[in-house]
Formats: sequence, C-alpha cells, structure tokens
Amino acid sequence: MSADMLASLKLVRSDIGAERPRLMRAMLLACGSVVLDMVPIWAVYRLTQMLADGSATAAGVWPLALLVAVTIPVAHLLFGLATRTSHIVAFNLIHDLRLRVARQIARLPMGFFNDMRSGKAKQTVITEPERLELLVAHAMPEGTSALFTWFIVTGWLFYVDWRMALAAVLFAPVSFILMGLAMKVSMRETEAYQSASNMLSGAVVEHLSGMAAVKIFNPRGVIGSETAAAIDHVASMQSEMGRKFVPLGGTFYALILANITLILAAGAWLLQAGQITLDVFLFFVILGGNYSAPLMRLFNLFHHFAHISIMATALQEILAAPPQPDTGAVLELENHDIAFERVSFAYQDKAVLKGVSFVAREGQVTALVGLSGAGKSTIANLIPRLYDVTDGCIRIGGYDSRDMGLDQLMEAVGFVFQDPFLFTASVAENIRYGNPHATDAEVEAAARAAQAHAFIAALPEGYATTIGRGSQLLSGGEKQRIALARTVLKDAPIIVLDEATAFTDPDSEYEIQQALGALMKGKTVVIVAHRLHTIAGADQILFVDAGQIVESGTHDALLAKDGAYAALWRDHTAARGLGLREAADAS
Amino acid sequence: MPADASTTSELACMRRLWQLAGPKRGQLATAVLFRGLQACALGLAFYAAIFLVTHLVDGGVVNAALAWKVTGLAVLSLCAQLLFSYLHVQRAWDASFQVGRNLRLSLLNHLQQLPMGFHLSRHEGDTASVITDDIFWIEGFLSDALAKIVQAVVLPVVIILFIALRTPMLALAMVAPILVGIPFVLWLTRRFAPIGIERQNVQAAAGAVMVEYVQGIRVVRAFNQISEGQETFRAAVDRFRTLSIDMVLIFTFPLAAYVAVIMLGVPAVMGTTAEQIGAVPPSALITALMLVFAVFVPLVGLVGVLEHMRITDASLQRIEKVLAAKPLLLLAEERPQDTTIAFEHVGFAYDPDTPVLRDVSFRCAPRSMTAIVGPSGSGKSTILNLLPRFWDVGSGKITIGGADIRAIRPEALSDLISVVFQDVHLFSGTIRDNITAGATDVDDARIKAAANAARAHGFISALEEGYDTPIGEGGARLSGGERQRIAIARAILKDAPIVLLDEATAALDPTNERDIQAALFTLVANKTLLVVAHKLSTIETADQILVLEDGQITERGTHATLITQDGLYARMHARKSQAAAWRVTET
Repeated sequence: MSADMLASLKLVRSDIGAERPRLMRAMLLACGSVVLDMVPIWAVYRLTQMLADGSATAAGVWPLALLVAVTIPVAHLLFGLATRTSHIVAFNLIHDLRLRVARQIARLPMGFFNDMRSGKAKQTVITEPERLELLVAHAMPEGTSALFTWFIVTGWLFYVDWRMALAAVLFAPVSFILMGLAMKVSMRETEAYQSASNMLSGAVVEHLSGMAAVKIFNPRGVIGSETAAAIDHVASMQSEMGRKFVPLGGTFYALILANITLILAAGAWLLQAGQITLDVFLFFVILGGNYSAPLMRLFNLFHHFAHISIMATALQEILAAPPQPDTGAVLELENHDIAFERVSFAYQDKAVLKGVSFVAREGQVTALVGLSGAGKSTIANLIPRLYDVTDGCIRIGGYDSRDMGLDQLMEAVGFVFQDPFLFTASVAENIRYGNPHATDAEVEAAARAAQAHAFIAALPEGYATTIGRGSQLLSGGEKQRIALARTVLKDAPIIVLDEATAFTDPDSEYEIQQALGALMKGKTVVIVAHRLHTIAGADQILFVDAGQIVESGTHDALLAKDGAYAALWRDHTAARGLGLREAADAS
Repeated sequence: MPADASTTSELACMRRLWQLAGPKRGQLATAVLFRGLQACALGLAFYAAIFLVTHLVDGGVVNAALAWKVTGLAVLSLCAQLLFSYLHVQRAWDASFQVGRNLRLSLLNHLQQLPMGFHLSRHEGDTASVITDDIFWIEGFLSDALAKIVQAVVLPVVIILFIALRTPMLALAMVAPILVGIPFVLWLTRRFAPIGIERQNVQAAAGAVMVEYVQGIRVVRAFNQISEGQETFRAAVDRFRTLSIDMVLIFTFPLAAYVAVIMLGVPAVMGTTAEQIGAVPPSALITALMLVFAVFVPLVGLVGVLEHMRITDASLQRIEKVLAAKPLLLLAEERPQDTTIAFEHVGFAYDPDTPVLRDVSFRCAPRSMTAIVGPSGSGKSTILNLLPRFWDVGSGKITIGGADIRAIRPEALSDLISVVFQDVHLFSGTIRDNITAGATDVDDARIKAAANAARAHGFISALEEGYDTPIGEGGARLSGGERQRIAIARAILKDAPIVLLDEATAALDPTNERDIQAALFTLVANKTLLVVAHKLSTIETADQILVLEDGQITERGTHATLITQDGLYARMHARKSQAAAWRVTET
C-alpha cells in the first residue's frame, strides 16, 4: 500500500517543494487537534469513575465539564486550520500538475495523439488529477493524525491493562489485513476498471459529436451502440469489483466499529475472575470503544489509493514520454528553399515514405499530386515537423530542420490544414492565432486578403463574434477563409497547403482562390492538391505513389510523358463531367 | 454566483434521487434497512455493557452465568453486525451501479431525441461530463453517503430515546446541541450551494477546453501557439483553483463550528450530570456518559456526507438540465403515403434575429432529383438539415408523402432518409460497424455488396484486417476518400427511399473522385434525391433546380430554362467557369 502512495507522491514531487512547509504545518495542526480530541474522552471516563466510586460532587464535576467545553472549540479550530491549509496545498498541486501535463502534451510528437481520443485526454488531465485532493487534502493530515493518536492511545490502553488492551486493539490489525486483501483484489480490477471508464468517456464524447450521424443511421439509438456497450462494461466492472471487494471490505467496515464486542466479552470474564475493577472496564468501554473510529477514515482513503496510483502511473507515462527533440537554436538562413534528402518515414512500422528527395525553391510553387494514401500529406506534415523523419533529412535554407529550434521552424512555416479547425473564441482571436501581437487593423487586413472581411463584418458582433464548434454562423468555405486569414497574418516565408481547399464549399472556390493567391506571393509554396486544374501551372509537379516520387516536372512535360500524371489528369477531366444521373434519366 | 443555481433542500435532493433510482428503489431500501439493523446490532453491544455496568454499580457481582450472558450478547452483536454489514454493502453497491447504468442509458436515449440545436449549443465535453462524472457522484452517493446518513441517524436516535425513558434531563442535554447544530449546518450548506455548482461547472468547462485543445493540437503546434493555447487552458484551470480555494476558505470554519457545537453536547451532558448527582441513581448517569460519544460522533460524520450531498445535488441539477431539454415534438401520428417531399411556406432561423429560410415552398416527386444551388450562406444546407429534423421548422411545414414530418415517428422518419454530407462522421469501431451503423444482424454478403457498390470493397480487402479494421476516432485512420466511400456504403446498405446529398466532395484525388461519383450514382438510383449541388454536371441532369438566395427561392426550373434567364443562376454558371480556369501561379 505504501508503494501505491509513493507512486502518487512521486507525481507531485516536483511541484510539492514549495508546498512542503505548508503541508507539514497542516499535519502538525491535525496531530494537535486529535490530541486535544482525547481530552473529552478522558474527562468522561474520569467522571464515570467518580460516579462509580461515589466520589462525584457537582463542584468536582463542573471543572471537568468546563475543561472539555474549552478544549473542544480549540481542537476543531486547529482541525479547521489543518484542512484549510492542506486543501490549499492540494488545489495548488492539482493546478500545477494539470498545467504540466497540458504543456507536456503540446510537446509530444503528433503520433501520440493519433490513438488518443479527446475524451480520454479530458479524463487524464481533468478528472483523474482531482483525486489528488483526496490524497493531499485528506489522507495526509487526517491519515497521519489518525495513526498518530491510534499509537498514543494504544500505548495508554496497554499501560492500564494489557489483556483488555489486547481485546480493544485486536480488531484493528485484523481489519487492516482484510482491507489489505480487499485492496489487493480491487487493485487487480482497478486497472481494467480505469480503462473501462476511460473508454466510456471516449465513447460518450464521440457519440455526442457524431449525433447527426447517430440520428440518421441508428435511430433506435443507444441500444447496441458502442456507447451502450461501454456503459454496460463500466457497470459490470463495478459489479465485478464490488463482488470481490464486498466480502472483505464489508467485513472490514463492520469490524472496525465492533471492538466494543470484544472489550465486552473480555471485560465480563476478567470482572468475573476479579482481575479488573469496574473502573478499568469503564475506561475501556469509553476510550477503547471509540478510538479506532478515526482509522476508519484512513481506511476509507486507502480504498481510493488504488485509483490514485493507477492514475499516477498513467500520468507518469505521459510525463515521461520523450518530447519532440528541440535544439532551441536560432539559425541564420540564406533562403527558404526546402530540400528533402532521401527522406523515409514509417508510422507504426508501416513504411509511408521511402527515400523521397526533391527541392522546393523559394518563390516557386511545388505541387504534390497522386492517389489518396500515397503519402502526399505526410510529406507536407514533415515540413513543420508535425512528425519527424525516420531516415534521411529535410533541409530548410541549407540546415537540417531538426537542428533548428522548433520556435524558429514554426515561425518559418505557415500551414493550412485540410480541415479548418477553429477554436471556441472570437473571430479576431482565431485569426490572431497567426500572430498574437497583431493590431486590430492587421487582423482586418489579413481577413480582407483572405476574402473574409465582408462576411465577418456581417456577423452579429463582427470580429468579436464567438465561433467554433457548434457555430451555425459560418459555412465550410467561410471557416476555411478564416483559417487562411490566420495564415496570412502569420506571414511566414514557407507556405504548406495540405489539401487546403478540401472542405471548401465550391461556391466560394473563387474567393478562396483569390485568398490563396494573396497568401502565396513570393513564398516557398508546397501544395497538396486534388483539383488538378488548380496546380496545372505549378513550377514543379511531383507525382507521389506508394511513398515515392515517381514523376516530376511541369504539367506540360508530364502530359507529354503520358505516364501516371497523364492518367490522373484524364480521370480528373472525366470526373468533372460525370453526373449523378444520366441525362437520359432526367425526364 | 449564478442566480439560477437554485438551492434545493436536502429533502428535495433525496426525493429526486429516489425517483431516479427507479426499479432499484426496493433494493436500495433493503440496503438502507440492513445498515440500520447493523447500527442496532452495535447498539446491542452497548446495551450489554450498560447492563453489566449498572449491575456492578448497583452492588451486584459478576458470576459465570452473567459473564456467559454478556459474552453471548457480544457474540450475537458481532455476528449480526457482520451479517448486516455484508448484506448492506452487497445490495447498496449493486443497486447503485445499476442505477448509474440505467441513468446513463436513459440520458443518452434522451439526448438522442433532442434537436441538434441542443447539442451544438453545448460543448460535447460538457454533456459528456454529465453522463460520466456526474453519474459517478450519484452512484457514490447511493452506495456510500446514504449508508453514512442512516448510520448517523439510527444509533443516536435509539440511544436518545433509550436515555429519555430513564433520565429525560440528560436526553435533553443530548438533544440541545443537535437542535442547534443540524439546522445551522443545513442552512450553511444551502447558503453556499451555488459555489459548489459553480465549481462543478468550472470543472466541466476546463474539461471542454482540454478536449478542444487536444482536438486542435495540430493548429496549436503549427502556429507555434503552444503557450497561447495553454493560456486558455491555464485560465480555466486557474479559475477552478481559485474557486476551490474560495470554497475551502468559506466552508472550513463554519463546518468546524458545526462539529464543535455538536461536540459541546459532551460538556453539556457532563454539566447536567453534575446537577443530577443525588437526584438520579449513579448507574443511570454512568449509562448516559457511556453512550455520549456513540450519540455525537456519528453526527459529526454527517459533515462529510453533507459535502458529498452538495456535490451530488450539483450533479443532479446538471443532469436535470439535460433531462429538462424538450425532445422533438411529435404530432398525432401520420403515415407517409409515398416519398413526395413538400416544403410548404417554410421559415427557419437558428438564432431568432437572423432568419435563414423565408417562405420556402417546393415539391419533389418520388424518385425525382432536385438540385439546390446558391451562394455560400444562402441556406442550402439548412434545407437538408430540416428534413431529418436535425432542427424543426420555425413556420410552415414539411411533409413526406402527405404526412407532416413532425407527425412521423422518429424511427420511421430515419428509415425513410439517408444522408451523405460533406463532414461524414464515422465512429471508432471497425469498418463493418460503420457500414452497418452498429446493426449486428446484417449478413456479410450484404455488407460486401454495399461496399462493392460504394467502390470501397477494394481498399477494404487490401487492409490487413479487412472489414474488421478499426478506423479510429472519426475514422482518423482512413483517407478522406476512403471515409466518404464508407459513408456511402453505409447509406447504400440502409437503402432508404430518400437521399440527401451535400455534394461538396472533399479534395479527393481524381481517381477517387471518379469512384465516388460512380458510388453515388448507385446510391441515388431510383431514389427521391435532394442534393446541394456544386457541379455543373450534377445540376444539368436534375429534374428541378432551386436557386436559393438569402433564404428564399428566387428561381426554379431545369438547367435548360434557367440558363436562358438573366438571373443568378446564369451568373453563377459563368463564374464557375472562371474559377475552373484558375491556376495557382496566376497571381
């Protein structure tokens, strides 16, 4: 059990430094308060003793009552201070941990995210760290103080009568052992349970984001869906855990409160044998009968440690994952030519690119064409190091891009994605992603260049209108133009367009083309495109097939060659003329 | 503090939980009963102790018979405690997990019946928290907190009644602090309930930001806004910390004060004892003193429960908010006679101030093809969104085969309609799951036939696991063209008589595009087809073309007739030819 606690502590170790004095103070205060908690118990015992031997008088009892009346508020004041302090520590630690994880996530290679559902990220960064509150705010002060008093009182009990003490104490270690076993059992299940609840979170988020498709294709809905399966799975994991935990855990909960029964039986026989006095018996019934209760809290917390330690391990994994290497260097670039030198790239052992070499010159347009899945987008993604090459290297302005600091590289490359992702924020904030220091005038100028100003100005609150997921205000083409404005504002010397017109509403194709023109002037442009007519005038067209460049040249040269590109061009021309129904059908 | 965060009473909260427990009520009630019996069994041990002490104080001696009797009671008490504890835990856990499961499923079912507007107005991360986190709290409450409440109430009540029969004054001294403390703590928690609710909302908001952060991580990285992106997240996490600490600062001392007030019952009983010396037999006084901690300690434990209850209450309110959202309205049921679609004076607005459709009327004959064209933002996609009731019309009505779509059962309506939209949503399951939309009773031959017709069988069989290949969240492991073809296969398999098609084919390579065109050709054959059209070839073969401008139909007819009119259609036609002539290098 201690090992589990350590795992969670290790997680916050680097953050705990500054908080340590506070945490110590919290523990000391808690210990002080539980020691004071003993006073009323002792006083009540003392009073029963006086009553039993007939020495009690009102004058003798009142001072005792007053002592108790004073100690109680003081004890709880101390306890309040302790929990207050420990909670503040806990919230600070959770806060720092969450930020640390988020920072780390941003630095991980993109491949890390391909298999991570966004719902799981939420679970890992938001839901799970909250359990630390239990550990730091409750377990540490309450746990230590409970143990502390338990040892003191146990000593006291043994000092008074060892046989009765044995009876009073016996259930505690037995309970401990039971709880340990219960923990072990549930630990085994916990990992599976945790992954079940992560799965639930992931499935639910996805179910909700695909609601439109669910409504059409699965109207009877929930039953039989992956989400329903995840819900059932969580419930059956819980029941399974419960089934294994209950016989041990349930017994524990009863035993920890039940030591009065042992005290009673032992006391009866020792009284009968004349081995103890009524006095001692009363002492044990009053003190021994109650003193294990604080341990219950400790045990309750232990129950959660299984979860905490799993969470700690999962987070530790993320924190320990090697971030993308970054030299942080700022290099003097002669130009912004991009050169791929025998670049290979494999994803999950699957070769995606094999020995790709080409040069994209500054001021020129280099187009990547080919079938879906040929590796065009991968080539585009490698330029800003969204992924790192497996072999070979990519030079920018003569330098290996990995020798360049990530900051410099990111500044140098403007990337337009296929899917224009907008954040839940105002239009202006979304555009300012391209340059956080841009003035309002610059933001507007970028929007104008991206042919977006007119529709933005028509929005209810213009540039201050909140957009993002769920916003019905923008069409696909409009979103794409905002994404373009973002890139225009960035004004990077290298522009990579990854199927940038993919989700374009074809009705705004013309506007978007104008926007692209503004963006590309004088830059090194690498463009992945399917609408072949748009790239027919490129300075260089590279035909990518199965991870290799199989043809390169200008449109005319490639057509003359009558190879793969020429065949694609024929398909392109054919697809543009194909109707949904044959003309003859249309009566 | 939000004004709408109502402060329901504990009773109302319990009543609501009771309602939600549904068929599991009986089991929960038995669980609670067993917990009460466990407390009574513990009381039995106290009774035996009192019996023994009274006997001794009154001058009796302990003989073997008495010792046996006491031992018997102790053993009985212990066994009963263990038994009832086991029975309680077993039932309580099982019931609460089942309640959680049922609640999740019914929430999800309810969510499915809500208009899309509801989903799009909330962040999916937020709604997901309701289904995952909030329900975990409710489960926890039913399994743990409920038991603690019973435990906190049963034994003290039994003891106080017991004392009241013998020494009413002492019972009064016990009741007094409870009468002061309980109302105080109830007032306190109710007074500050809004903070708890706010805190949970802030937590959910931070989760939503995290989900978006991960979803947009590519953009964050490409724009080198790692720190900016984190700024939003940091702000959310900061707010959570501040609020949590505020909560601790506000709550700690009042709660400590409550505990102190309750515990001051100890000196109160001591003082009363002092006054009663001589008036009441010492054994009666000793009895009360022996029980004094058994009365007050469980009541102190209520503090933790109340905290739990407040969080549960906040969770309940968040669940209520979802449950309170009105599902789509269903008029008296009508059955469609055929697949004629008619829009009759339809008006619609996503946001009351900006009408999207105005007085739109048209008819589509069964198995005819209608193309909708118009500038970006003119309301074309909205028309498609209204048919499957993603939203409901604001005025006018839509009928299918003469039946108002609001009078057709949702399942029946879904059965009539297939959609292929540009943002095809696929789910994380396998390819097979996606084509069958989760139905398990579809035989392989039909799946293959659909995939074949959708030109998808080829690439699917080339995959290592074929139809059982998992495709990742949103189909992330497939290319755009592959995703579209799977979406089309899904629609083909569904074989609904009405097909809604948003034709904006994402940038696909020309070969893919030709395949998809052919796949669509199969899909729409003999269907009533409503298409938001972009391609000249599509439009030319349509039976009917609707030109939409600013939410109104301004022109209608076939290509041949419209092209000769000097309207928007003719102008768009001219401009498309212009866009088609564009080249990247033109600028």
